[in-house]
Amino acid sequence: MPTTVSASSLTSPLRLTFPTISQVNGKACNLTIVSMSWAKNGFPSLRTSRFRVSCAAKPQTVEKVCDIVRKQLALPAETELTPESKFSALGADSLDTVEIVMSLEEEFGINVEEESSENITTVQEAADLIEKLVQSKA
Amino acid sequence: MAFTLRSVKVPPNSASLEEARHRVFNFFRTACRSIPSIIGIYNLDDVVTVSQLRSTIASEIRKNSYLTNPKVIDMLLFKGTEELNNILEHAKQRHHLIGQYVVGNHGLVQDLGTKDQGISSFLKDFYKSNYF
Repeated sequence: MPTTVSASSLTSPLRLTFPTISQVNGKACNLTIVSMSWAKNGFPSLRTSRFRVSCAAKPQTVEKVCDIVRKQLALPAETELTPESKFSALGADSLDTVEIVMSLEEEFGINVEEESSENITTVQEAADLIEKLVQSKA
Repeated sequence: MAFTLRSVKVPPNSASLEEARHRVFNFFRTACRSIPSIIGIYNLDDVVTVSQLRSTIASEIRKNSYLTNPKVIDMLLFKGTEELNNILEHAKQRHHLIGQYVVGNHGLVQDLGTKDQGISSFLKDFYKSNYF
């Protein structure tokens, strides 16, 4: 049973069929061996590429976002602005958030979808979204 | 008749305050995305920047932020959309935009500089609105 659990945690698309078949048959042995070998091929490339996309937010992007937020909300210079600070904690209402997103659109030349812009609550999220859009545009 | 296609596409009423909120934000996003073309049409490059116009639009929206009736919000959105359409199809002229959105929103008196340093705050409030 522990072998089937590890098989279902793989990131390769092949896992869609293997674990279900093993559950139906109750025979774990052959199928897990096969899927583990697929895993050895698939693991390095998938894992590194996934991590690369999600963690990348260049410091100058975060810096620019911080500047825009500071200018938009008219924050005095001594308020500390970390990448994790929420817009609502800095005194922004929802219209301010939308305006910040629009000024980021203008600054970086990207187009943010409506659904994505509703999920932006912190500086770090905004920087990540900008990175993703800039990379997909380039 | 060079009317834009954006004229009548909104359904009559928002079901709730939340939907009205979404419509307000969509309208704001549309207006912000059309600011560069507005500046291009009316040659406002040396008078105003994109961020100034954006904050003007935001303050106009924020002026009515106390409303809770979705129908009233819909009506104001309709008027706002109509205004944006008029601006984009060049039905207005440069001095209209400068007077209404660039120079000052406080009755054109408060921001005009040194001429009005001496007037009292009572007069300033009076020019701004009826209720103060």
